[in-house]
Amino acid sequence: MKIMAYVLSLLFAVATPCLAVSDNAIGHINTLNGSGYIVRGGAVIPAKVGAVLHRADLVRTGKPGSLGVVLTDDTTISLGPNSELSLAEYEFNPREGKFSLVVRMMKGTFAYLSGMIARLAPGNAQIVIPDATIAVRGTKLLIAAEE
Amino acid sequence: MTIKWTLPLTAALICIVLTGCASQTVVLVPDPDGHTGSAAITTTGGSQTLQKPGDMTQVTGAAAAPAAVTAASAEFIAGKFADALAIEPLPAEKFILFFESGKTALAAESEPVAAEMLKAIKRRNPITISVSGHADASGSTQLNDRLANERAGLVRELLLNNGVAPEKMTLSSHGKGNPLIATPDGVAEPRNRRVEVIIR
Repeated sequence: MKIMAYVLSLLFAVATPCLAVSDNAIGHINTLNGSGYIVRGGAVIPAKVGAVLHRADLVRTGKPGSLGVVLTDDTTISLGPNSELSLAEYEFNPREGKFSLVVRMMKGTFAYLSGMIARLAPGNAQIVIPDATIAVRGTKLLIAAEE
Repeated sequence: MTIKWTLPLTAALICIVLTGCASQTVVLVPDPDGHTGSAAITTTGGSQTLQKPGDMTQVTGAAAAPAAVTAASAEFIAGKFADALAIEPLPAEKFILFFESGKTALAAESEPVAAEMLKAIKRRNPITISVSGHADASGSTQLNDRLANERAGLVRELLLNNGVAPEKMTLSSHGKGNPLIATPDGVAEPRNRRVEVIIR
């Protein structure tokens, strides 16, 4: 019985972190030059190539600083210096036909390339800039938001 | 005369004081494959649609309609977006492996594609590799979910055996829900029995 409990607790210890990661990862930082940060629940994490991104993360670049993000549906967004982006909404679940993407670009310069969400559910991919919303139909956009 | 220029000036002053007159610029450019889509920019005051490569609009304030569409020059794009464009990740590379009907065996014609895929992984050293299994629309949903899942698992094994770190891989099964070729339910379509491997 004791052994059984031990084995079970070991299994949980091994399995739980894996589940947590695969459930929440919506993308990664793929490229980085200079300084960048991920803001998650108030904590500021220095950006690294390969760092995992979660829904609701804020991504910032320093000055100088630029970085490139790739989401799991292939949406690609790169940020120039002194830029700020929020991954406000993200759901990519082709098996259940659930797709949604809302990216907020608060300030800075961006290159945005649509991924599968914009292709499979064109009405559900949206970029929000300070004074407007952009409905994206499978395409590449350059966006600048002046402070 | 006085009123004519005082009004716009007052409006501009209010704008600067209240909002800092922050403006946003949106430019449509071609995708890496040369295709150009479209984008609709909407404020509470109106909307503009960008349709051609280089189409550009500007937004100044939430209440004003986006400015009329103009053409962005190559110099403007290079000047404004140089840093963002220089750091763009390499476009994802996709490899599609096809399978025998109702089975998890790789179709013979997909073996060279598998070899090419392994070469690209060595060359790029990708951050992530997504492996998604798909089935065609013949057979039950449960059967197709299981088949799609097993096909993805087979490709994962192949990648593991070739030295790919397991933490780089994400596995998913789309069943028959994301076909390459749209078919009515119940139709067997070889091009939908596949595993897509995307390296990023």
